[in-house]
Amino acid sequence: MLKYLLNRLFWMVPLLVGISLISFLIMHLAPGDITSTEASFNPKTSEESRQKLRELYNLDKPVIVQYGLWLKRMSTLDFGHSFASHQSPVFWQETDKDGNVTKGMIQEALPITLLINVLSLSLIIAIALPLGVISALTQNKMPDRSITIFVFIGFAIPSFWLALMLMYWTGVSHNWLPISGLHSLGAEKLSNFAQLLDTLKHLTLPILISGLTGLAGISLFVRNGMLDVLHQDYITTARAKGLPENTVVYKHALRNALLPLITIFGLSIPGLIGGSVIAESIFAIPGMGKLFYDAVLMRDFPVIMGILTIGSALTLIGNLLADLAYAWADPRVRKGVAQ
Amino acid sequence: MNAILKNPLALAGLIVIGFISIMAILAPLIAPFDPDAINVKHILLSPSSTHLMGTDGLGRDVYSRMLFGARISLLVGIVAVGIATIIGIVLGAIAGFYRGWVDTIIMRLVDIMLSIPTFFLILAVIAFLTPSIWNIMIVIGLTSWMGVTRLVRAEFLSLRNREFVLASQTLGAKDSRLIFKQLLPNSLTPIIVSSVLGIASAVLVESGLSFLGLGVQAPQASWGNILTDGKEYIEFAWWLSLFPGLAILITVMGYNLLGEGLRDALDPRTSNNK
Repeated sequence: MLKYLLNRLFWMVPLLVGISLISFLIMHLAPGDITSTEASFNPKTSEESRQKLRELYNLDKPVIVQYGLWLKRMSTLDFGHSFASHQSPVFWQETDKDGNVTKGMIQEALPITLLINVLSLSLIIAIALPLGVISALTQNKMPDRSITIFVFIGFAIPSFWLALMLMYWTGVSHNWLPISGLHSLGAEKLSNFAQLLDTLKHLTLPILISGLTGLAGISLFVRNGMLDVLHQDYITTARAKGLPENTVVYKHALRNALLPLITIFGLSIPGLIGGSVIAESIFAIPGMGKLFYDAVLMRDFPVIMGILTIGSALTLIGNLLADLAYAWADPRVRKGVAQ
Repeated sequence: MNAILKNPLALAGLIVIGFISIMAILAPLIAPFDPDAINVKHILLSPSSTHLMGTDGLGRDVYSRMLFGARISLLVGIVAVGIATIIGIVLGAIAGFYRGWVDTIIMRLVDIMLSIPTFFLILAVIAFLTPSIWNIMIVIGLTSWMGVTRLVRAEFLSLRNREFVLASQTLGAKDSRLIFKQLLPNSLTPIIVSSVLGIASAVLVESGLSFLGLGVQAPQASWGNILTDGKEYIEFAWWLSLFPGLAILITVMGYNLLGEGLRDALDPRTSNNK
């Protein structure tokens, strides 16, 4: 088991190098750099000062040299500083000589995105599981049919459109929920609990959106998994033994049907991170997606590379955790891994 | 073909996609107004018999813009998936047929691409390359071939040692003949199903990009960028948000229905009527 774990962790390194190389090449093969965006804000910027900027950021060197420099810094976990946003550290906080702490950009953005995703995943599980089970147990009857229609709509609904509609309905016309940002005006004067409540209120719509759009896939998955399992011989055996239907369905079938779900969650991480761009820019939430979107518009290479690397690393770790969880939950897999 | 027409899901999908395609193709003939004609006297009119879906912030007819937007959505979906499918078939066939180190390299590349949050990558590339419909199709295609590659490889691996393949190999068939005459035709069903489902997600990605302002650029109409205007005027003009969203929903649903229906109709294993 330990050998398997070490092997997996070891393989992560070349994968991450490959990921960063591909991302780096793509970023740098495209024309234009930070100096062209800065120049467009300040037309007086001369070619000479742009050249100086390029030298400062090593943008005048060949791409592969730049990648080497980047990789060298990364080997000490130095993600560098943002080009665009006042030299903020990209990843983690730094203390200058006067003892002032500057928070890292990813350090501030990542927890917000993670919180939204964890909460919406919980929402998905809470709703999709029962839906999927009901659907499987009533196969091709009314409940299954209506859930299936719901699933097809859920698959097809553009999340940003759902966001707009909900924003209009709850925010604009009923004024129930705040529709942008993380805090209300003057929230810092409230008590800690009231502040938390305020933030949760701001997060309700984004969580609802990503939850509702993710629901369809998972409930369909549970349905198909259940149907597969219910046709297995050991279920027939369980029924033949005279076990109550509830025991057969919930103890024998459901537990086996849920296993592959672990892998699905692991695989959905890049989609969740990527999907955060749209929701966060609609609701003006300062998470990873918003940070990335702003960085892309500014061509802020260190931030872009930092987010792509962290995002990919999270994906790899998520997949590993999913595989471990699977092995933990399924003795057959555990035996296979151990051999 | 009969199996497809008998499957209610596939038939429903086919009708939806067919209808939208006809509207898109005939757009220049049936659009009541020039989609780009600005008319400051008719700003933000609500839907009426002249302007079926109202007008936008520049007084353009939303219905006409929707018709022309349909062309963008359908074109992007089909071309992007075409690119992805070709790449996927080539790489998957090589990996599954020759195995060995080529297979290892290709599958590692697939792992790498699957680990990058693809939407981030698409966003960055589009923003750097200046957004245009061609760039969008190419970039979506270049970032979504991994599924097809895995699929084709798996099919090839399982078909490679079947009797009919071994038989024709023994008879002296060349690799190219084995690949194109034996293996590929027998792997076609899952490829078609996954392509149709792929079009659905490409349509969603394109509309998302356009919504963020990084897709199809104004004045050219796309469902996504009509929605961007919709967000701007959400307090005064619901029709700007409602119609393009519904159009995307129906189109994506059409492709999904068609894909799932095809899977049911063509693959006896997942058929529910056993």
